[in-house]
Amino acid sequence: MTQAVDSSSSFFGRRFGRWLDRRIPPSPEISLSQRNVFIFPTRTGFVFGGLLLLLVLAAINYQASLVYGVAFLLGSVFLVTILYTFRNLSGLRLEFAGTRPGFVGEDIEFSIRVVRPQDGGRGRRGREGIQIGFPDGIVQWVDLHHQEADLVRLYVQGSRRGYLHPGRLLVETYYPLGLLRAWTWVDLDARALVYPRPLFSELPELMAGRRDEGQLIDPQGSEDFTDIKAYQPGDPVKHIIWRSYARGDELMVKRYASFMEPRLWLDLDDVGGGLEERLSRLTGMALQAARLGREFGLRLGKVEVKPAVGEAHLERVLRELALYGS
Amino acid sequence: MAADSIAVGRQASKPPARGVAYQIPRNSLALLMVAQVVVVIPYLFHLSPWIIAVCLFCGYWRSGVYQGRWDYPRRWIKAVLVASSVGGVVLSGVGLFSLEAAASLLILAFALKLIEMKGRRDAYLVIFLGYFSIATQFLFDQSIAVAAYQVVAVTVVTAAMVGLNQLATRVNPFESLRIAGSLILQALPLTVVLFLFFPRIAPLWTVPLPSSSSTGISDRMKPGDVAELIRSDELAFRVVFDGAVPPNRELYWRGLVYSRFLDGTWSVGGLLPEWDATARPRPRSGSDSVDYEVLLEPTQSDWLFALDVPEARTPGVVLTRDFRLEAPDPVLSVFRYRVTSRPGLAMDPYPDAAGLPDMLRRRETWYPEDDNPRTQAFAADLWNESGHDPEVFVSALQAQIRRQPYFYTLSPPTLEERGSIDAFWFDTRRGFCTHYAGALVFMLRSVGVPARMVGGYQGGEINPVTGHVMVRQYDAHAWAEYWLPGEGWRRVDPTAAVAPARIEQGLNAALSAEDRASLSAFTSARFEGLAVFRDLLFWADSLEHRWNLWVIGYDTQLQGNVLKQLLGQITPARIGAALLLGGALSLGLVAAVLFWRRRPAPRHPVERAFSRFCARVAGSGWRRAPGEPPATFIRRIAASGALRDDQAASLVADLDRLLYNPAADWGSRDVRQLRNQLRKLQFRLAFGATR
Repeated sequence: MTQAVDSSSSFFGRRFGRWLDRRIPPSPEISLSQRNVFIFPTRTGFVFGGLLLLLVLAAINYQASLVYGVAFLLGSVFLVTILYTFRNLSGLRLEFAGTRPGFVGEDIEFSIRVVRPQDGGRGRRGREGIQIGFPDGIVQWVDLHHQEADLVRLYVQGSRRGYLHPGRLLVETYYPLGLLRAWTWVDLDARALVYPRPLFSELPELMAGRRDEGQLIDPQGSEDFTDIKAYQPGDPVKHIIWRSYARGDELMVKRYASFMEPRLWLDLDDVGGGLEERLSRLTGMALQAARLGREFGLRLGKVEVKPAVGEAHLERVLRELALYGS
Repeated sequence: MAADSIAVGRQASKPPARGVAYQIPRNSLALLMVAQVVVVIPYLFHLSPWIIAVCLFCGYWRSGVYQGRWDYPRRWIKAVLVASSVGGVVLSGVGLFSLEAAASLLILAFALKLIEMKGRRDAYLVIFLGYFSIATQFLFDQSIAVAAYQVVAVTVVTAAMVGLNQLATRVNPFESLRIAGSLILQALPLTVVLFLFFPRIAPLWTVPLPSSSSTGISDRMKPGDVAELIRSDELAFRVVFDGAVPPNRELYWRGLVYSRFLDGTWSVGGLLPEWDATARPRPRSGSDSVDYEVLLEPTQSDWLFALDVPEARTPGVVLTRDFRLEAPDPVLSVFRYRVTSRPGLAMDPYPDAAGLPDMLRRRETWYPEDDNPRTQAFAADLWNESGHDPEVFVSALQAQIRRQPYFYTLSPPTLEERGSIDAFWFDTRRGFCTHYAGALVFMLRSVGVPARMVGGYQGGEINPVTGHVMVRQYDAHAWAEYWLPGEGWRRVDPTAAVAPARIEQGLNAALSAEDRASLSAFTSARFEGLAVFRDLLFWADSLEHRWNLWVIGYDTQLQGNVLKQLLGQITPARIGAALLLGGALSLGLVAAVLFWRRRPAPRHPVERAFSRFCARVAGSGWRRAPGEPPATFIRRIAASGALRDDQAASLVADLDRLLYNPAADWGSRDVRQLRNQLRKLQFRLAFGATR
């Protein structure tokens, strides 16, 4: 999996990407060391170098030993900072710790665990000012002072349905002086599922599947109140009789005739528009059906998900919708 | 997956993106404000008070912004501040291209930038200005105390830079200070290496020099001037003698020759040329020589101090025809020069000519004839009595001073400019070295004997710690010289007649109790009784002395000597190698401190066995997922057919029991057994064997 780093379109960008893939191969877990951490002065670092040059010039022209002294002290600080900056990343372990799927247009969450190497549990040797982020996402700061590990949540906007590969993860630090940048591009082999952007339209009773399966019941039927029963987990929240609960009684729910409704089929062939639009509509319907607690199934050409209810079912349906055609 | 996560339209909360409304971390801000104060303090002694006032104003404003009481200054206020600051520097009278003007502008920029600082870049600019201000301060003062102070200042500025790269929410500036402190500390060995080996080069172009006022002897002298100097215990110079230190009475540090006397003021006449290479002072008696090195504190002038008759051993230092040494440039920082003095040489500026050339004779005998008529008459009488012999005349004058009630005092009565010598010689009879020397020279001139006043220092104090001689401002002295045909200039010190103790034992012995009390509090004379204080002062002085010798005085020449000692011979390759080796060693030291990891606490033997197993089977393609429990991992492997179900179950049970049950009573046998099981499994996986 070659991920674009910076500019995949340019020749050098692609060469760099291939070189990176060899140098830092994709792996869900990676430890940072001198093999995969780069270090270079920042622009501020170069300005700092200019300042040092100016000081040395002043020292030469004024023959002032202590101006030399200041220049040498600052130069030495710069060199020592190389070690500090590198050490701030060195030994860190990064682990891909899961994602949370989302819809197109949403920010998709990736969790990364950052683990500090064991160094005798000395809190003073914490790591700080570590910034991690995906090329297209926001950047998070990580400080590891007293804890050994931290879970960082990063967000990348899902622009297309299917698997989202956020690309290589940029881990960088400017600590302690901002004169140097130590960084690495690691590929944690992370991917997240992006569901189609839901489009909501009329409720699916009009196209509630084939006539031969179940009976079409009056849509108003869902409003037909039948009786009252005690609340059980899983009952639709909107059916709870809050007024009676406020009186101090138990949670009661109203039962409606719609409980008896037949299974609903969401079929790609039953909606209009382009492929993506149809998938979006089906997604919207699936979500609405799930919210209403209706039993529904999915048909995408040859792919079929048997009607069911519940969280896991919805997830499965959405996954099929996201991955359709890929 | 929680139901919430698929709720339509719900956006995951997201922290503000980078670059949006950047704010300088507060601990960095606090440190920057402290840094401003710390950086400006040493400038209090060098810059005009209004600049300090501007700094205070800006600091106050910024602290108001920091506390959220005030807003940043508006654009027009900034414009007014900048314009009036630059205008102030222009109008303040220091030269536009002088170092003072540059330093003033630097400090003002540092202060003004602080109040308008918002972004990261502004903060870095302020930090770099701070570093530059610290370095510039060393052009004014390089003493050891200032150097120690500036290390602290560098630490504070560096801490502000550390704060900039810490998480904005951290509010503990001391943490940043601690990190900056250890950075500086760890950078010191490398600094020393660079300081030793980095080649010193001659100045590339001429630069404006600091012209701060200085204490010390000047080229114009009124009788009261030296008395003022006496009140200062500032160091004038240090002298390291190669051999024994000559007795106090021979330590006449000659610096300036005053040939003009007008309206009660002595001043240096026109400059005399240098000695050329062929001419040498004529030997008079004896051939003793004294070798020594002088470390002169900054005087802002080019005259140097030496014993009679000096020969400079330092390139660039020249001897003039009035037997003074001159430095090639004004002395702005501690200046060291080697001298060989031969008391036996004649002070005859033109040994080939017979006597004093007319031009010089006219100059050294001129006096205002309408001034001090009583003294002139007195001198004329005495001149006749002594048979027109200058030597007799001078001894008669000294006898007069000894016999008549003349007094040596630091606080003589004030005298009118005209008739000052009359008033002193006949009426007040109280005076200081300049009064006596001045009267003597005037009388000699009035009878036609060439004479002149000489200014410099007399005596010095031996520092018992390092054995060098410290000459302080209160050793300032004035004496006279008169011309003896056939011999040259001869020194005569009338003060020796009125206060012999001054010449034999130093100023302190010659002073009355009243005079002594009027001296500044820190004069070591006051600590006469307190041995501890005296010792402390000596110790501090020797420290400063070594600092001057080895750090401030570390120039091309000294570096050459040191490198020759260290490296045998000086070649670019050797210097490069020394720099590399020294740098590698000192950085290696830091790396060792930074990367040294204490051995992790001994792990549970089962844990160790299991992680070794994981590492080994990873080679066969079995990778334990992050956070995967051991049991799950084993079952996953077992599912591939590498283990029978019962084998897997027993292995999992053993693992769970030994790893997680704290009450499990396990011995080395259990561990060995488990290790064997794991090893078998590992082999099976490695060689693809099933069952």
